[in-house]
Amino acid sequence: MTNFIDYLLGGFSNGAVIALMALALVLVWRSTRMVNFAQVGQAMFTTYVALTIQQSTGNWVLALLVAIGAGAILGVIVFFLVIRPVKNSDSTGAIIATFGVLIALQAGAGMIWGGDPRGFIPPVDNAGLEFAGRIWPISPYDILVLSATAALVIGLTLLFTKTSLGLSMRASAFNPEVARLSGVRVNRMLISGWAIAGATGAIGGVLIAPASTISPNSFDILLVFAFTAAVIGGLDSLIGAVTFGIGTGLVISLVSGYSDSGNAPIVALVLLALNLLLKPDGVFGHHGARSV
Amino acid sequence: MNNVKNLRTFPGNRIIWHAVIVGIVWLLLLVLNNNIDPLYSSYLALVAMYATAMFGMTILVGLSGQVSLGNGALMAVGGYVFALTSMNWQTVPIIGWQWNAVWSMAFAGLGGILIGGIIGGLAARLRGPYLAGLTLGLAVGVPAITNRFPELLGGENGLMLSVPYPAGGYAALDSALGSSSDSSSDGTVDPNSAVEEDQYAELDLSEFEQGADLDADLAPEDLLTDDDLLTEEDFGVGDQLTDDDLLTEEDFGVGDQLTDGDLLTDEDFGTGTDLGIDGGDLGTDLEADLDVGVGTDLGTDPAVDLTGITDAFDSGFIIERWQASMAIAVACLVAFAALNLVRGRQGRVWKAVRDDPVAAAVVGISPSGSKISAFIVSSLFAALAGAVLAQILTLVAPGAFGLGLSLSLLVGIVLGGRSSLLGAILGALLLVWLPELVDGLSGDRGWPEQITNNAPNLLYGLLVVAVVLAAPGGLTGTVRAWIDKGRGKTRSPLS
Repeated sequence: MTNFIDYLLGGFSNGAVIALMALALVLVWRSTRMVNFAQVGQAMFTTYVALTIQQSTGNWVLALLVAIGAGAILGVIVFFLVIRPVKNSDSTGAIIATFGVLIALQAGAGMIWGGDPRGFIPPVDNAGLEFAGRIWPISPYDILVLSATAALVIGLTLLFTKTSLGLSMRASAFNPEVARLSGVRVNRMLISGWAIAGATGAIGGVLIAPASTISPNSFDILLVFAFTAAVIGGLDSLIGAVTFGIGTGLVISLVSGYSDSGNAPIVALVLLALNLLLKPDGVFGHHGARSV
Repeated sequence: MNNVKNLRTFPGNRIIWHAVIVGIVWLLLLVLNNNIDPLYSSYLALVAMYATAMFGMTILVGLSGQVSLGNGALMAVGGYVFALTSMNWQTVPIIGWQWNAVWSMAFAGLGGILIGGIIGGLAARLRGPYLAGLTLGLAVGVPAITNRFPELLGGENGLMLSVPYPAGGYAALDSALGSSSDSSSDGTVDPNSAVEEDQYAELDLSEFEQGADLDADLAPEDLLTDDDLLTEEDFGVGDQLTDDDLLTEEDFGVGDQLTDGDLLTDEDFGTGTDLGIDGGDLGTDLEADLDVGVGTDLGTDPAVDLTGITDAFDSGFIIERWQASMAIAVACLVAFAALNLVRGRQGRVWKAVRDDPVAAAVVGISPSGSKISAFIVSSLFAALAGAVLAQILTLVAPGAFGLGLSLSLLVGIVLGGRSSLLGAILGALLLVWLPELVDGLSGDRGWPEQITNNAPNLLYGLLVVAVVLAAPGGLTGTVRAWIDKGRGKTRSPLS
């Protein structure tokens, strides 16, 4: 039972990062009705930028802020150069193009920073806290990750529900034609969606990096987990992405704890397949995943 | 336009026509393979392997419109089935035929069909991004399964296949456990081990027989007793050695010492020819040994044909050339099947469902059936390509079948031309040639390794985006559009 509680607690911070990546996928889906498979590639790239900043200045907060800015800019660049020209002509092409971006970003990062895994030093202690006579699998850094995620989720929720920008974004996601007729600048809303998604992914990348190492391919598996969480959540729902992001993190932590961390991708695959088989629209979603 | 013409032709004509085309290409490739440097033969083998897998991608992505990243994982299925069947089932004859690589290839294909059917059944219910995500999970998850069963699948190190000889089957070694398989018992590959086993068997038998005889001959009175032990009394005092008995230098004459003159010189030895060590003699000796030692010992089993192996070595057997001819054979057979499918009724069914599933359903085509059949065909091709890759690498390991392989297949198919079989071949050429080109360029300019290693992928990524945006038909689609423009025709680049 203590093992169970330990594994469960250890899964929260990973789950929070998966939730952030899933959020980024959902934000892009809401703005352009497509899955950005390059999302973790963008996050990987901005994490390398943050790593460079941190190594030269030693300032983690500055590194995080630069990564957020870079993530937003990269999101907008990808949108303008790749997504907008391709979007309507060819839905198969749009998916392939995002994989092209992923391949190019990974190769570019490999060129600039090399393929060897690099460590990212956390700003606060990453060792388990001692409390009530035993060491718990929650470190001060995990608490930082969880509170940053919570702050971001609250911020996004407020943005979408309480601001006019959020209202316009929701309107253009819900029905672009009607929104345009009502005076919403739909194109700007799409750009905002991609920028916010890029920034969210960038935060996720910087937060997960100290947990292991960073290399051009190290986030591939995160893409699978985030996609799983986003799809189970319904691809359309912010709350769904967060809930099932953390849920996926907990399941992976339990599987890794009781068997082997190598099984995590298999479990994610099984979860995804079961979900697509039984409830393809996701738990919180209302758009059809099935075509036939 | 084309389709109408095809409808009018009797299908039998078309099949014969395709067979002639593929046969000529096959022949040309074999001639090419036998006349180029073995290094280029190994490139040829890789191109044929990629083309085999990408014919399946043409059907799945191009014609059926399903973006799949799972074909690398399906290649892993084929590769592992090939390795496991050739390792463990080599002694099993099927319908009286000795096990050989063709059987393992057949089983690899069956494995592909089975897994492809399961995934295709799931995939047919899903729209584009969902399918891409699910197959992405497959590409990441399937290699992880090898770690789940390290004893069977060799874990991270994979399974090592021994060098494939054309005459026999395949001897496979489990590199992870470092133990040789028990495939030598029928003598398909390793003559030495078979001979040794035979000798041991004979020795063991004779020893047992001798032992039995001795036991029978011994009578109780033959046993030694305490009385038989020697005591001090049995030795006289005079028998003991004294210091005087030690030899001194004087006992040796001076002349007895060896001088430089006594050293043996070259003249004392004959030259190599005197001892008969030359290639010809050795060769005949070995052949004689094989004939006597192997041929007679195993002569009772008619299926064992070791002369093929020695013949192959005598005629300068080159493994790269053999791998290339094997890969070409598979690619040509798959190309023949793909040509008939794509240019026949089924090809039109796939395109109809891709372009408008509702309209296709109205005219009596089952959209999900069409999608599943595309998945199964592409899985079969992928599995065969995986089996070929296993023979080229003589290894199956999770690293060889990772996400990178799946992405390469997607890149190749998009650059070559998504919906044409010729595009698959061009894409395969590009996948093999571009890294070599970059390597050559960087060798001349002294670029650092991390630039050289990543430059092909950077180019692939940028090219894929550029092609999707500017020329969705890829290389073949664009060229075809030019030709059509010259003729005053227009059609969709993806048709």
